[in-house]
Amino acid sequence: MFFKRKQPKEAALNEFDQVVEGNSLGKDAWKRLKKNKMAVLGMVIVAIYSLLAASAMFLPIHPYDQIILDHQHLRPSFSKTAGDLMMESKLKDLYFKAWRSGSLVVTEAESQQIENWISQNETNKVWDFLYAEGEAQREAGTFTFSSADQRTIDRLQEKIDTEFLINIDKMFYTDSETGKRKNIARMDFLDIQRIYAEYIGVEESVIANQIQNEVRSQVLNTVKAATPGLTAEEYEANLELELQSLGEKGIASIGKTNLLINLKTAISRSIERGLKQEIKDGKAQFPINREITVNESLSADITADLKHERHYYLGTDYSGRDMLSRIIYGGQVSIAIGLVGTITSVLIGIVLGAIAGYAGGKIDFFLMRLVDIMYGLPYMLLVIIFMAIFGRNIMNLFVALAMVSWLTVARMVRGQVMSLKNSEYVEAARSMGASTGRIIFRHMVPNSLSVIIVYSTLRVPAFIMQESFLSFLGLGVQAPYASWGSLVGDAVNGMTLYPWKLVFPAIAMTIFLFAMNFFGDGLRDAFDPQSKNQL
Amino acid sequence: MSIEKRKPLLEVRDLKQHFPITSGAILQKQVGAIRAVDGISFDVYPGETLGIVGESGCGKSTTVRSISQLNKPTSGSVIFNGIDLVKADTRTMLKARLDIQMIFQDPYASLDPRMTVRSIIAEPMVIYNNRRLLETPMSPMDIERRVEELMERVGLNKAFKNRYPHEFSGGQRQRIGIARALALNPKIILADEPVSALDVSIQSQILNLMADLQKEFGLTYIFIAHDLAVIQHISTRVAVMYLGKIVEISEAVQLYDNPLHPYTIALLSAAPIPDPKIERERKRIILTGDVPSPDKERIGCYFYDRCPKKMPWCSCHIPPMLDINEKQQVACWLYDKRDLSKVTMEEAEADAAKTASEKT
Repeated sequence: MFFKRKQPKEAALNEFDQVVEGNSLGKDAWKRLKKNKMAVLGMVIVAIYSLLAASAMFLPIHPYDQIILDHQHLRPSFSKTAGDLMMESKLKDLYFKAWRSGSLVVTEAESQQIENWISQNETNKVWDFLYAEGEAQREAGTFTFSSADQRTIDRLQEKIDTEFLINIDKMFYTDSETGKRKNIARMDFLDIQRIYAEYIGVEESVIANQIQNEVRSQVLNTVKAATPGLTAEEYEANLELELQSLGEKGIASIGKTNLLINLKTAISRSIERGLKQEIKDGKAQFPINREITVNESLSADITADLKHERHYYLGTDYSGRDMLSRIIYGGQVSIAIGLVGTITSVLIGIVLGAIAGYAGGKIDFFLMRLVDIMYGLPYMLLVIIFMAIFGRNIMNLFVALAMVSWLTVARMVRGQVMSLKNSEYVEAARSMGASTGRIIFRHMVPNSLSVIIVYSTLRVPAFIMQESFLSFLGLGVQAPYASWGSLVGDAVNGMTLYPWKLVFPAIAMTIFLFAMNFFGDGLRDAFDPQSKNQL
Repeated sequence: MSIEKRKPLLEVRDLKQHFPITSGAILQKQVGAIRAVDGISFDVYPGETLGIVGESGCGKSTTVRSISQLNKPTSGSVIFNGIDLVKADTRTMLKARLDIQMIFQDPYASLDPRMTVRSIIAEPMVIYNNRRLLETPMSPMDIERRVEELMERVGLNKAFKNRYPHEFSGGQRQRIGIARALALNPKIILADEPVSALDVSIQSQILNLMADLQKEFGLTYIFIAHDLAVIQHISTRVAVMYLGKIVEISEAVQLYDNPLHPYTIALLSAAPIPDPKIERERKRIILTGDVPSPDKERIGCYFYDRCPKKMPWCSCHIPPMLDINEKQQVACWLYDKRDLSKVTMEEAEADAAKTASEKT
């Protein structure tokens, strides 16, 4: 198991040269687990989720933190692009206005129905009905938009057809003297500074100054975030200290990141101008993926897409971010919190529980009273206070959750260790002169591992729930990061209008929690030889 | 060869093992003690098998645990190879204990269910190797060879070394336990009821194996059992224990033919004889009362409450070990050179008070 060191493993052959293999308790448990269909299904789902979360970076999904304000609250659709959906919602809006002003004529009964819907706050139905009605009437030629509305529609259509997004993958610098081409991201801070100054045509010292100031304000901001509530002088002093501890190298690396971003923005602006011209000339073919020369010394590898050609299979949120990628990245955070929280709490619990159980006496007494006291405190309150004091970031969330959740593991391990302490094989080990550490970690912990594993798997969903709860309250993961809990929390506003924002993260989370619980239950049955689904 | 002339391998002198009874939550106060072993002395000579018998709770197991320092004795000394294990520091004690290994009672409980047979048998070697207490350090390959050799020696197929204890029968597991005890080539093995958890047919196999091993490696055993037949079969000498005291210690043949202590006589009469005729006719001695609780200090004979031959003298004088002949020692006032049966209670108490005041 975990603590077994590698041993020279030699195949054991019997008289007939057959390999004789042992059947460990773990292997037995695995066999039993495989017979439990729900547990296997749960395991598979958990595996798929973990795989998706782990490979989120390589999946062909839109960036989870890219804000496109034009794409706010688009509904999920497989067939329609973002542009179609934008046009659709614009049209809905226009038809509604037309109905209000009386230019879109519907029957008396339908009108009454619409009024009813409006009074019941069922805006979606109104829009859908008017959209269908308007489209039908426009098709039939009984309704035409006013010229102003038509202009709005045309402008939107043009926007949809022409707007694009540029993404610069790599930038290259060609030395005019030697003719060597270099990736700028791999160059030195000072070199990049020179290139940037050269590109935008100002003195190098100006740029150096600007970068210096940027870095200072950046560091100041982090200092302010870390320790709020100090005076301006104290911040100044802290800033100096922080800068000193960063050193030349640290400052240079921050400066380099800033410079690269600046350079990228500058280059993409110029490329954008070029591309726009190409579109006007009708030469551009999207998606573009090629190298573009900016001037004689600079060039860049770019990919460009039409901005409104995107598909949002699970819709978008209030700032136009793709829900699908947000759910996947949110899963990454949620699962990570579940796993890391469980692992830390189990490790702390094992160590303290084993010490308490093995040492006994006063140490046991004080550790267990500590556990009792911690149990007595409302632990969610503790977590909330901790988060309020030390700031809201993912790391603090891990620490806060782990801090209060080792209690049960510690008690459980203590009980196990106490019962195993007097078992004969532990006494046998002691009579052979085994050290306390060896007895605890080679004999006692592996023998209580099955209980610990079962408990941990059942613990993971609990952690995810707690994290979701905190995120829902706004104490957990902060934007632009997402977790299932924060997605659900964000979606509660306007959940009648935009139900997809609430439904999909909730479904994703529910399935995972179900799967994890089934898996945990299966493990418990598998590790318990007395359980009814015996081999 | 007489016993006195041989040099003992292990000397136990006035060994006491008291378990404190405490009360109170934080500041624990000792309110008494269970006197599991209350001052026993004996010698173990090389090559012999010392059997220890007695009823449940008389301190047999505690004795061997105290000898192997699993429980630190309250007082007394255990001298092995000239080293007092009780007073020695951990490292010296461990080094000495390399030659003292144990076999445990329950073969189902004494093997770690998560370890393969290989790692169970290798464990003592690995531990001593890691602590650098072996004379010649062993490589993993040496250990592997030794494990195979041991498995073959105790009658296990070496192909089973990757198997886990739960895949074996009780007898096979006890063989694994024996192989583990043999791993470090000990001089003395403390066997704590090694056969009482086994079927009778398996018992004889294990006993014969142990006897063979003794011959082959020149081992010395301290062998605990509550089965008198088993003890008779394997022991050269037998110590009878009652309530934390040794009441009689003698050569096995002598003990069975001519028991001296009233308790030994009662104990032997309780063993069934596999012959219906004799069994029906023989008279059993039935002791009255229960074994008293070992939690108070005694001033008289430990067997006084139940002894069928008790005398007033016994109530206030603890009997010393008396040498009857060179093969038999007994702790009973009946065999004192003086005739104590005529002493009245008053005289005995006066004498006891006198000795007590002389001491102080």
